[in-house]
Amino acid sequence: MVSTLVHAGFALVVAAGLLGDAADRRALGAILLVVVLPEADALLGPIYPGAHRTVGHTTVLPVAAGLLLYYDTQRREHSWIRARVADRWIGVAWVALVVHLTAHVALDWTHLEGVNLFWPLRDAFTSLDGALTWSLADGFVQTFVDVRVDPATGQTRVGTDVTGTRASVHVNNPVEPDDPAALAEAEVVDRRFPVAGRGWRLYLLGLGLFTVVARRLQRAPPAEE
Amino acid sequence: MVPALVNAALGGLLAAALLGRAFDRQAVALVVGAAVVPGLGSAAGVALGWTAAAAVQAVWLPLLAALVLLVDTRWRERSVLRTRHGWRGVRVAWVALASASVAGVAPDLFNEPGVPLLYPLESVRYTVDGLLLYSTQEGVVQTLLTGGDTPGVLPLAGTEGVSGMTDGPPETIAIVETGWQAVVVATGALTLSLRFAGFGGGRRDVAATRAAGETTGTTETTGTTETTGTTETTETTAEDR
Repeated sequence: MVSTLVHAGFALVVAAGLLGDAADRRALGAILLVVVLPEADALLGPIYPGAHRTVGHTTVLPVAAGLLLYYDTQRREHSWIRARVADRWIGVAWVALVVHLTAHVALDWTHLEGVNLFWPLRDAFTSLDGALTWSLADGFVQTFVDVRVDPATGQTRVGTDVTGTRASVHVNNPVEPDDPAALAEAEVVDRRFPVAGRGWRLYLLGLGLFTVVARRLQRAPPAEE
Repeated sequence: MVPALVNAALGGLLAAALLGRAFDRQAVALVVGAAVVPGLGSAAGVALGWTAAAAVQAVWLPLLAALVLLVDTRWRERSVLRTRHGWRGVRVAWVALASASVAGVAPDLFNEPGVPLLYPLESVRYTVDGLLLYSTQEGVVQTLLTGGDTPGVLPLAGTEGVSGMTDGPPETIAIVETGWQAVVVATGALTLSLRFAGFGGGRRDVAATRAAGETTGTTETTGTTETTGTTETTETTAEDR
Protein backbone atom coordinates (compact mmCIF):
# COMPACT_ATOMS: atom_id res chain seq x y z
CA MET A 1 0.00 0.00 0.00
CA VAL A 2 0.96 3.58 -0.48
CA SER A 3 1.24 4.41 3.19
CA THR A 4 -1.85 5.91 4.81
CA LEU A 5 0.34 8.75 6.06
CA VAL A 6 1.31 9.61 2.48
CA HIS A 7 -2.37 9.72 1.49
CA ALA A 8 -3.03 11.96 4.46
CA GLY A 9 -0.16 14.28 3.52
CA PHE A 10 -1.28 14.72 -0.09
CA ALA A 11 -4.90 14.97 1.05
CA LEU A 12 -4.03 17.91 3.31
CA VAL A 13 -2.54 19.87 0.40
CA VAL A 14 -5.46 19.20 -1.95
CA ALA A 15 -8.06 19.87 0.75
CA ALA A 16 -6.40 23.13 1.77
CA GLY A 17 -6.19 24.07 -1.90
CA LEU A 18 -9.88 23.43 -2.55
CA LEU A 19 -11.17 24.96 0.67
CA GLY A 20 -8.88 28.00 0.68
CA ASP A 21 -9.64 30.14 3.69
CA ALA A 22 -12.45 27.83 4.80
CA ALA A 23 -9.87 25.17 5.67
CA ASP A 24 -9.91 25.24 9.45
CA ARG A 25 -8.93 22.42 11.76
CA ARG A 26 -12.38 20.81 11.95
CA ALA A 27 -12.90 20.79 8.18
CA LEU A 28 -9.45 19.33 7.50
CA GLY A 29 -9.95 16.74 10.26
CA ALA A 30 -13.28 15.64 8.80
CA ILE A 31 -11.76 15.33 5.32
CA LEU A 32 -8.79 13.32 6.62
CA LEU A 33 -11.23 10.92 8.26
CA VAL A 34 -13.07 10.38 4.95
CA VAL A 35 -9.77 9.81 3.15
CA VAL A 36 -8.21 7.46 5.70
CA LEU A 37 -11.21 5.36 6.82
CA PRO A 38 -11.59 3.38 3.55
CA GLU A 39 -8.15 1.94 4.31
CA ALA A 40 -9.98 -0.16 6.89
CA ASP A 41 -11.13 -2.42 4.06
CA ALA A 42 -7.91 -4.30 4.89
CA LEU A 43 -9.72 -5.53 8.02
CA LEU A 44 -12.30 -7.23 5.82
CA GLY A 45 -9.57 -9.21 4.06
CA PRO A 46 -9.70 -12.29 6.29
CA ILE A 47 -13.47 -12.74 5.80
CA TYR A 48 -13.82 -11.40 2.26
CA PRO A 49 -10.72 -12.31 0.21
CA GLY A 50 -9.31 -9.45 -1.84
CA ALA A 51 -11.29 -6.84 0.09
CA HIS A 52 -8.33 -4.50 0.48
CA ARG A 53 -8.12 -2.09 -2.46
CA THR A 54 -11.59 -3.29 -3.48
CA VAL A 55 -14.30 -2.28 -1.01
CA GLY A 56 -12.81 1.04 0.12
CA HIS A 57 -10.93 1.85 -3.06
CA THR A 58 -13.67 1.57 -5.67
CA THR A 59 -14.80 4.71 -7.45
CA VAL A 60 -18.39 3.47 -7.53
CA LEU A 61 -19.22 4.25 -3.90
CA PRO A 62 -17.81 7.83 -3.88
CA VAL A 63 -19.53 8.61 -7.19
CA ALA A 64 -22.81 7.21 -5.86
CA ALA A 65 -22.37 9.31 -2.71
CA GLY A 66 -21.73 12.36 -4.89
CA LEU A 67 -24.89 11.74 -6.94
CA LEU A 68 -26.96 11.35 -3.76
CA LEU A 69 -25.46 14.53 -2.33
CA TYR A 70 -26.21 16.39 -5.55
CA TYR A 71 -29.77 15.08 -5.77
CA ASP A 72 -30.55 15.84 -2.14
CA THR A 73 -28.99 19.29 -1.89
CA GLN A 74 -29.69 20.64 -5.38
CA ARG A 75 -32.69 18.87 -6.85
CA ARG A 76 -35.06 18.21 -3.96
CA GLU A 77 -37.39 20.86 -2.67
CA HIS A 78 -36.71 20.03 0.97
CA SER A 79 -33.18 18.73 1.35
CA TRP A 80 -32.75 16.14 4.08
CA ILE A 81 -29.08 17.09 4.51
CA ARG A 82 -29.56 20.87 4.45
CA ALA A 83 -32.09 20.52 7.24
CA ARG A 84 -29.44 18.89 9.40
CA VAL A 85 -26.05 20.49 8.70
CA ALA A 86 -24.82 23.99 7.89
CA ASP A 87 -24.16 24.76 4.21
CA ARG A 88 -20.46 24.93 4.93
CA TRP A 89 -20.36 21.21 5.68
CA ILE A 90 -21.97 20.39 2.35
CA GLY A 91 -19.02 22.14 0.70
CA VAL A 92 -16.67 20.19 2.95
CA ALA A 93 -18.40 16.94 1.91
CA TRP A 94 -17.84 17.75 -1.78
CA VAL A 95 -14.19 18.49 -1.11
CA ALA A 96 -13.85 15.25 0.89
CA LEU A 97 -15.16 13.23 -2.08
CA VAL A 98 -12.79 14.90 -4.53
CA VAL A 99 -9.84 14.52 -2.16
CA HIS A 100 -10.63 10.85 -1.53
CA LEU A 101 -10.76 10.14 -5.26
CA THR A 102 -7.51 11.98 -5.99
CA ALA A 103 -5.25 11.64 -2.95
CA HIS A 104 -6.35 8.13 -2.04
CA VAL A 105 -7.90 6.09 -4.88
CA ALA A 106 -5.90 7.61 -7.72
CA LEU A 107 -2.57 7.37 -5.87
CA ASP A 108 -3.18 3.69 -5.03
CA TRP A 109 -4.19 3.15 -8.65
CA THR A 110 -0.57 3.88 -9.62
CA HIS A 111 0.95 1.54 -7.03
CA LEU A 112 1.61 -2.24 -7.24
CA GLU A 113 -1.44 -4.06 -8.60
CA GLY A 114 -3.58 -0.94 -8.48
CA VAL A 115 -7.18 -0.83 -7.29
CA ASN A 116 -10.47 -2.52 -8.12
CA LEU A 117 -11.83 0.66 -9.72
CA PHE A 118 -15.38 -0.32 -10.65
CA TRP A 119 -16.15 -2.97 -8.03
CA PRO A 120 -18.91 -4.18 -7.54
CA LEU A 121 -20.02 -3.36 -11.10
CA ARG A 122 -16.96 -4.97 -12.61
CA ASP A 123 -14.41 -7.06 -10.74
CA ALA A 124 -11.03 -6.12 -12.20
CA PHE A 125 -7.96 -4.63 -10.58
CA THR A 126 -6.35 -2.08 -12.88
CA SER A 127 -3.15 -0.13 -12.44
CA LEU A 128 -2.08 3.17 -13.93
CA ASP A 129 1.50 3.22 -15.04
CA GLY A 130 3.31 4.75 -17.97
CA ALA A 131 4.85 7.94 -19.23
CA LEU A 132 4.14 10.86 -21.53
CA THR A 133 7.07 12.04 -23.60
CA TRP A 134 7.71 14.35 -26.49
CA SER A 135 10.45 14.09 -29.08
CA LEU A 136 11.10 15.69 -32.43
CA ALA A 137 11.05 12.29 -34.12
CA ASP A 138 7.89 10.78 -32.58
CA GLY A 139 5.95 13.75 -31.25
CA PHE A 140 3.82 13.03 -28.19
CA VAL A 141 3.90 9.42 -26.99
CA GLN A 142 1.89 8.16 -24.03
CA THR A 143 1.92 4.68 -22.49
CA PHE A 144 -0.70 5.09 -19.74
CA VAL A 145 -3.72 3.94 -21.69
CA ASP A 146 -3.60 1.02 -24.12
CA VAL A 147 -5.55 1.35 -27.30
CA ARG A 148 -5.58 -2.12 -28.81
CA VAL A 149 -7.45 -3.39 -31.81
CA ASP A 150 -8.37 -7.04 -31.61
CA PRO A 151 -7.15 -8.51 -34.93
CA ALA A 152 -9.87 -11.18 -34.96
CA THR A 153 -12.95 -9.10 -34.26
CA GLY A 154 -11.73 -5.66 -35.21
CA GLN A 155 -12.99 -4.30 -31.87
CA THR A 156 -11.01 -1.58 -30.14
CA ARG A 157 -10.20 -1.99 -26.47
CA VAL A 158 -9.21 1.08 -24.52
CA GLY A 159 -8.00 0.89 -20.93
CA THR A 160 -5.22 0.77 -18.38
CA ASP A 161 -3.40 -2.44 -17.43
CA VAL A 162 -5.66 -5.09 -15.91
CA THR A 163 -3.79 -6.95 -13.19
CA GLY A 164 -6.44 -9.48 -12.14
CA THR A 165 -9.64 -9.91 -10.16
CA ARG A 166 -10.56 -9.91 -6.50
CA ALA A 167 -9.85 -13.65 -6.41
CA SER A 168 -6.39 -13.42 -7.95
CA VAL A 169 -4.99 -10.14 -6.60
CA HIS A 170 -3.86 -9.68 -3.04
CA VAL A 171 -2.25 -6.38 -2.09
CA ASN A 172 -0.12 -6.82 1.02
CA ASN A 173 -1.10 -4.78 4.06
CA PRO A 174 -0.44 -4.92 7.82
CA VAL A 175 -3.55 -7.06 8.41
CA GLU A 176 -2.55 -9.58 5.77
CA PRO A 177 1.13 -8.94 5.05
CA ASP A 178 1.33 -11.74 2.51
CA ASP A 179 -0.85 -13.88 0.32
CA PRO A 180 -3.44 -15.60 2.59
CA ALA A 181 -2.24 -19.06 1.49
CA ALA A 182 1.39 -18.24 2.31
CA LEU A 183 0.33 -16.63 5.59
CA ALA A 184 -1.40 -19.81 6.78
CA GLU A 185 1.87 -21.69 6.50
CA ALA A 186 4.22 -19.00 7.78
CA GLU A 187 5.79 -19.49 11.21
CA VAL A 188 6.55 -15.86 11.94
CA VAL A 189 4.36 -13.14 10.54
CA ASP A 190 6.19 -9.92 9.79
CA ARG A 191 3.69 -7.09 9.75
CA ARG A 192 5.10 -4.00 8.11
CA PHE A 193 3.64 -0.55 8.68
CA PRO A 194 5.13 1.72 6.02
CA VAL A 195 5.70 5.43 6.55
CA ALA A 196 7.08 5.94 3.06
CA GLY A 197 8.27 3.30 0.63
CA ARG A 198 9.97 5.62 -1.82
CA GLY A 199 11.42 9.10 -1.79
CA TRP A 200 8.52 10.71 -3.66
CA ARG A 201 6.05 9.35 -1.12
CA LEU A 202 8.07 10.88 1.69
CA TYR A 203 7.92 14.09 -0.35
CA LEU A 204 4.11 14.07 -0.54
CA LEU A 205 3.95 13.42 3.21
CA GLY A 206 6.31 16.34 3.81
CA LEU A 207 4.32 18.55 1.42
CA GLY A 208 1.21 18.04 3.57
CA LEU A 209 3.06 18.88 6.78
CA PHE A 210 4.63 21.93 5.13
CA THR A 211 1.22 23.20 4.00
CA VAL A 212 -0.27 22.92 7.48
CA VAL A 213 2.71 24.57 9.18
CA ALA A 214 2.89 27.35 6.56
CA ARG A 215 -0.82 28.12 7.00
CA ARG A 216 -0.29 28.41 10.75
CA LEU A 217 2.55 30.89 10.26
CA GLN A 218 0.57 33.08 7.87
CA ARG A 219 -0.78 36.38 9.06
CA ALA A 220 -4.41 37.24 8.47
CA PRO A 221 -5.04 39.99 5.92
CA PRO A 222 -5.75 43.43 7.40
CA ALA A 223 -9.45 44.17 7.72
CA GLU A 224 -9.53 46.96 5.12
CA GLU A 225 -8.32 44.76 2.21
CA MET B 1 14.78 15.20 -12.84
CA VAL B 2 11.11 15.77 -12.17
CA PRO B 3 9.40 17.10 -15.33
CA ALA B 4 8.51 20.80 -15.35
CA LEU B 5 4.80 20.03 -15.65
CA VAL B 6 4.93 18.19 -12.32
CA ASN B 7 6.72 21.15 -10.68
CA ALA B 8 4.03 23.42 -12.11
CA ALA B 9 1.21 21.23 -10.77
CA LEU B 10 2.77 21.13 -7.30
CA GLY B 11 3.21 24.92 -7.44
CA GLY B 12 -0.46 25.24 -8.41
CA LEU B 13 -1.51 23.14 -5.42
CA LEU B 14 0.60 25.27 -3.08
CA ALA B 15 -0.83 28.45 -4.63
CA ALA B 16 -4.38 27.25 -4.00
CA ALA B 17 -3.56 26.14 -0.47
CA LEU B 18 -1.48 29.10 0.69
CA LEU B 19 -2.47 32.27 -1.18
CA GLY B 20 -5.67 32.77 0.80
CA ARG B 21 -7.36 36.02 -0.16
CA ALA B 22 -4.51 36.88 -2.56
CA PHE B 23 -5.68 34.03 -4.82
CA ASP B 24 -6.25 35.29 -8.35
CA ARG B 25 -4.99 34.57 -11.87
CA GLN B 26 -1.97 36.84 -11.63
CA ALA B 27 -0.79 35.54 -8.26
CA VAL B 28 -1.25 31.91 -9.32
CA ALA B 29 0.72 32.53 -12.53
CA LEU B 30 3.58 33.99 -10.46
CA VAL B 31 3.62 31.11 -7.97
CA VAL B 32 3.44 28.44 -10.69
CA GLY B 33 6.18 30.24 -12.60
CA ALA B 34 8.39 30.23 -9.50
CA ALA B 35 7.94 26.44 -9.24
CA VAL B 36 9.19 25.87 -12.77
CA VAL B 37 12.26 28.13 -12.73
CA PRO B 38 14.78 26.04 -10.70
CA GLY B 39 14.17 22.85 -12.71
CA LEU B 40 14.36 24.58 -16.09
CA GLY B 41 17.43 26.56 -15.03
CA SER B 42 19.24 23.47 -13.89
CA ALA B 43 18.20 21.48 -16.98
CA ALA B 44 19.45 24.27 -19.24
CA GLY B 45 22.71 24.34 -17.29
CA VAL B 46 23.16 20.58 -17.67
CA ALA B 47 22.35 20.65 -21.39
CA LEU B 48 24.72 23.53 -22.09
CA GLY B 49 27.43 22.18 -19.83
CA TRP B 50 27.25 25.31 -17.70
CA THR B 51 28.12 23.99 -14.24
CA ALA B 52 27.38 27.19 -12.30
CA ALA B 53 23.68 26.79 -13.13
CA ALA B 54 23.63 24.15 -10.38
CA ALA B 55 23.42 27.09 -7.97
CA VAL B 56 19.71 27.54 -8.76
CA GLN B 57 19.03 24.29 -6.89
CA ALA B 58 21.24 24.99 -3.89
CA VAL B 59 19.80 26.13 -0.57
CA TRP B 60 21.55 29.51 -0.58
CA LEU B 61 19.24 31.47 -2.91
CA PRO B 62 16.02 30.52 -1.05
CA LEU B 63 17.71 31.21 2.29
CA LEU B 64 18.88 34.62 1.08
CA ALA B 65 15.43 35.44 -0.32
CA ALA B 66 13.78 34.40 2.96
CA LEU B 67 16.21 36.55 4.90
CA VAL B 68 15.57 39.59 2.69
CA LEU B 69 11.79 39.09 3.00
CA LEU B 70 12.03 38.70 6.78
CA VAL B 71 14.17 41.80 7.22
CA ASP B 72 11.96 43.86 4.94
CA THR B 73 8.55 42.81 6.25
CA ARG B 74 9.18 42.17 9.93
CA TRP B 75 12.17 44.15 11.14
CA ARG B 76 12.22 47.34 9.13
CA GLU B 77 10.11 50.28 10.15
CA ARG B 78 8.67 50.74 6.67
CA SER B 79 8.64 47.67 4.45
CA VAL B 80 9.39 48.46 0.80
CA LEU B 81 7.32 45.49 -0.36
CA ARG B 82 4.32 46.35 1.80
CA THR B 83 4.35 50.03 0.87
CA ARG B 84 4.41 49.21 -2.82
CA HIS B 85 2.20 46.11 -3.05
CA GLY B 86 0.42 45.92 0.28
CA TRP B 87 -0.48 42.79 2.23
CA ARG B 88 -1.10 40.97 -1.04
CA GLY B 89 2.45 41.57 -2.24
CA VAL B 90 3.93 40.16 0.94
CA ARG B 91 1.72 37.07 0.81
CA VAL B 92 2.44 36.40 -2.87
CA ALA B 93 6.20 36.83 -2.31
CA TRP B 94 6.27 34.29 0.52
CA VAL B 95 4.16 31.76 -1.36
CA ALA B 96 6.28 32.18 -4.51
CA LEU B 97 9.42 31.55 -2.45
CA ALA B 98 7.82 28.46 -0.88
CA SER B 99 6.79 27.30 -4.34
CA ALA B 100 10.28 27.72 -5.82
CA SER B 101 11.88 25.68 -3.06
CA VAL B 102 9.17 23.17 -2.08
CA ALA B 103 7.56 22.60 -5.51
CA GLY B 104 10.59 23.56 -7.62
CA VAL B 105 13.69 22.11 -5.95
CA ALA B 106 12.50 19.64 -3.31
CA PRO B 107 10.88 17.09 -5.70
CA ASP B 108 14.26 16.66 -7.42
CA LEU B 109 15.86 15.81 -4.08
CA PHE B 110 13.75 12.63 -4.00
CA ASN B 111 14.67 11.63 -7.55
CA GLU B 112 17.84 10.82 -9.47
CA PRO B 113 20.20 12.59 -10.09
CA GLY B 114 19.43 14.63 -6.98
CA VAL B 115 20.09 18.20 -5.91
CA PRO B 116 23.42 19.95 -5.20
CA LEU B 117 22.16 21.37 -1.90
CA LEU B 118 25.41 22.99 -0.77
CA TYR B 119 26.86 23.98 -4.16
CA PRO B 120 29.28 25.81 -4.64
CA LEU B 121 30.75 24.87 -1.23
CA GLU B 122 30.90 21.26 -2.41
CA SER B 123 30.05 19.57 -5.71
CA VAL B 124 27.80 16.77 -4.53
CA ARG B 125 24.29 15.93 -5.65
CA TYR B 126 22.17 14.55 -2.82
CA THR B 127 19.23 12.18 -3.14
CA VAL B 128 16.73 11.00 -0.56
CA ASP B 129 15.17 7.85 -1.92
CA GLY B 130 14.65 4.97 0.41
CA LEU B 131 12.06 3.46 2.65
CA LEU B 132 10.92 4.10 6.17
CA LEU B 133 8.69 1.55 7.87
CA TYR B 134 7.97 -0.21 11.11
CA SER B 135 8.17 -3.98 11.04
CA THR B 136 6.92 -6.18 13.88
CA GLN B 137 9.97 -8.41 13.34
CA GLU B 138 12.73 -5.90 12.59
CA GLY B 139 11.57 -2.71 14.29
CA VAL B 140 12.11 0.59 12.49
CA VAL B 141 13.68 0.04 9.08
CA GLN B 142 14.99 3.05 7.20
CA THR B 143 17.30 3.57 4.24
CA LEU B 144 16.89 7.35 3.92
CA LEU B 145 19.87 8.49 5.94
CA THR B 146 23.22 6.90 5.27
CA GLY B 147 26.31 6.32 7.36
CA GLY B 148 29.60 8.19 7.08
CA ASP B 149 30.87 6.76 3.78
CA THR B 150 29.12 9.25 1.49
CA PRO B 151 30.92 11.89 -0.58
CA GLY B 152 29.08 14.87 0.92
CA VAL B 153 28.94 16.54 4.34
CA LEU B 154 25.25 15.76 4.88
CA PRO B 155 24.29 12.20 5.96
CA LEU B 156 22.40 11.59 2.71
CA ALA B 157 23.20 9.47 -0.31
CA GLY B 158 25.10 11.53 -2.85
CA THR B 159 27.14 11.45 -6.00
CA GLU B 160 30.23 13.48 -6.75
CA GLY B 161 30.00 16.12 -9.46
CA VAL B 162 27.18 18.48 -10.44
CA SER B 163 27.59 18.82 -14.17
CA GLY B 164 25.59 15.68 -14.96
CA MET B 165 25.31 14.54 -18.55
CA THR B 166 26.97 16.76 -21.12
CA ASP B 167 25.65 15.06 -24.24
CA GLY B 168 23.82 18.19 -25.27
CA PRO B 169 20.04 18.59 -25.17
CA PRO B 170 18.08 15.34 -24.61
CA GLU B 171 16.30 13.86 -27.61
CA THR B 172 13.13 12.94 -25.76
CA ILE B 173 11.56 15.30 -23.27
CA ALA B 174 9.63 13.68 -20.42
CA ILE B 175 6.35 15.43 -19.73
CA VAL B 176 5.09 12.91 -17.17
CA GLU B 177 7.35 10.02 -16.13
CA THR B 178 5.25 7.83 -13.85
CA GLY B 179 1.73 7.10 -12.66
CA TRP B 180 2.00 9.16 -9.47
CA GLN B 181 3.20 12.17 -11.46
CA ALA B 182 0.15 11.83 -13.70
CA VAL B 183 -2.04 11.87 -10.59
CA VAL B 184 -0.28 14.96 -9.24
CA VAL B 185 -0.65 16.79 -12.57
CA ALA B 186 -4.34 15.88 -12.89
CA THR B 187 -5.03 16.84 -9.26
CA GLY B 188 -3.26 20.17 -9.62
CA ALA B 189 -5.17 21.01 -12.79
CA LEU B 190 -8.48 19.95 -11.21
CA THR B 191 -7.85 21.97 -8.03
CA LEU B 192 -7.00 25.15 -9.91
CA SER B 193 -9.92 24.83 -12.32
CA LEU B 194 -12.39 24.24 -9.48
CA ARG B 195 -11.03 27.24 -7.59
CA PHE B 196 -11.16 29.50 -10.65
CA ALA B 197 -14.70 28.28 -11.29
CA GLY B 198 -15.63 29.70 -7.89
CA PHE B 199 -15.79 26.43 -6.00
CA GLY B 200 -14.45 26.48 -2.44
CA GLY B 201 -12.08 29.20 -1.27
CA GLY B 202 -14.54 30.47 1.32
CA ARG B 203 -13.71 32.87 4.09
CA ARG B 204 -12.05 32.07 7.38
CA ASP B 205 -14.92 33.83 9.11
CA VAL B 206 -16.61 30.53 9.84
CA ALA B 207 -19.16 31.83 12.29
CA ALA B 208 -20.67 34.18 9.71
CA THR B 209 -20.77 31.44 7.09
CA ARG B 210 -22.42 29.07 9.50
CA ALA B 211 -24.98 31.69 10.48
CA ALA B 212 -25.66 32.25 6.79
CA GLY B 213 -25.99 28.52 6.25
CA GLU B 214 -28.69 28.20 8.89
CA THR B 215 -31.00 30.54 7.06
CA THR B 216 -32.50 28.76 4.08
CA GLY B 217 -32.92 31.19 1.17
CA THR B 218 -30.07 32.51 -0.95
CA THR B 219 -31.34 36.08 -0.76
CA GLU B 220 -31.20 35.96 3.01
CA THR B 221 -27.64 34.62 2.83
CA THR B 222 -26.54 37.61 0.81
CA GLY B 223 -28.35 39.81 3.31
CA THR B 224 -26.46 38.41 6.29
CA THR B 225 -23.04 39.03 4.84
CA GLU B 226 -23.79 42.41 3.29
CA THR B 227 -22.19 44.20 6.20
CA THR B 228 -18.79 42.63 5.58
CA GLY B 229 -18.17 44.15 2.14
CA THR B 230 -19.14 43.64 -1.47
CA THR B 231 -16.27 41.44 -2.67
CA GLU B 232 -16.90 38.95 0.10
CA THR B 233 -20.58 38.80 -0.64
CA THR B 234 -19.87 37.63 -4.17
CA GLU B 235 -17.54 34.99 -2.80
CA THR B 236 -20.20 33.66 -0.49
CA THR B 237 -22.77 33.47 -3.24
CA ALA B 238 -20.34 31.61 -5.45
CA GLU B 239 -19.73 29.14 -2.66
CA ASP B 240 -23.43 28.61 -2.00
CA ARG B 241 -24.14 27.75 -5.59
